[in-house]
Amino acid sequence: MIEINVDKESCVGCGLCVKDCPMKVFELKEGLSVPMRPQDCMGCLSCHEICPAQALEHKGVYPAKRHYIDIRVCEMLNRVI
Amino acid sequence: MAASYVDELHESFSTDIKYRSEDVPLNCVPPAKEIEATLHGVMKLNGLVIRSLEEIAGRGANAVTFRAGKKFGHEVAKYFQKRDDIEDALHELSDLLRGQYSFEVWKPADSDTFIIEEGGERFIYLVFHDCIVRQTLRRNGQEQAGALCQTLCGYVVGAIEEITGMRAKLEIMHTGPNACLKKLILK
Repeated sequence: MIEINVDKESCVGCGLCVKDCPMKVFELKEGLSVPMRPQDCMGCLSCHEICPAQALEHKGVYPAKRHYIDIRVCEMLNRVI
Repeated sequence: MAASYVDELHESFSTDIKYRSEDVPLNCVPPAKEIEATLHGVMKLNGLVIRSLEEIAGRGANAVTFRAGKKFGHEVAKYFQKRDDIEDALHELSDLLRGQYSFEVWKPADSDTFIIEEGGERFIYLVFHDCIVRQTLRRNGQEQAGALCQTLCGYVVGAIEEITGMRAKLEIMHTGPNACLKKLILK
């Protein structure tokens, strides 16, 4: 099962993840997003992409193969990081 | 054009390699890292073909790409064993699509079975993880769930129809950067 963590310090309670999730995994409670049904998460990571505060963390997601990265750019970035 | 350049060009295409018909290549040559530019070129071209098709044909673009995908699905799946059971057919299909698309049969936690009956419809949720269509669209900054996605829908429908003999429909429920949820409606 996928584990979802919301960084309470970062979450701004915009509700974008609540609206975007097709499986209604999130609910807004006291102005913060709460993963109420993480067992229904299919790992599409839409919420992850849409979150303006980057407050979400998913554990146990299958990462889809990425063919479109620019290897040279990533190598350079890795050197900097 | 200078003669030296022509000589150089001829030289670059001339080798001592003996090519025999029984030589079966076991590896991609050159390795993937060296063909990165080619891959990006193909993805860019595919994206532009679809964008142009959408500009010219409008909503008709979806019908064109769906039909192309469906023909491809029928064509590829006709060599596969025919199955009556939909679960067996999906297993067969996952073998068929391996390398291009990988998917899993999926259900919400409160559902007991993978085949869900709701509102007079019988359907199965499929979560597509690896998908060359998604990669292409995101590489080009194009929206998902458009005409290029319809090629995959057509492909799956064509293959399922060919394997099971049943009519089917694939609806895109949600698209994401890492996976997409689709609904396979059985008729």
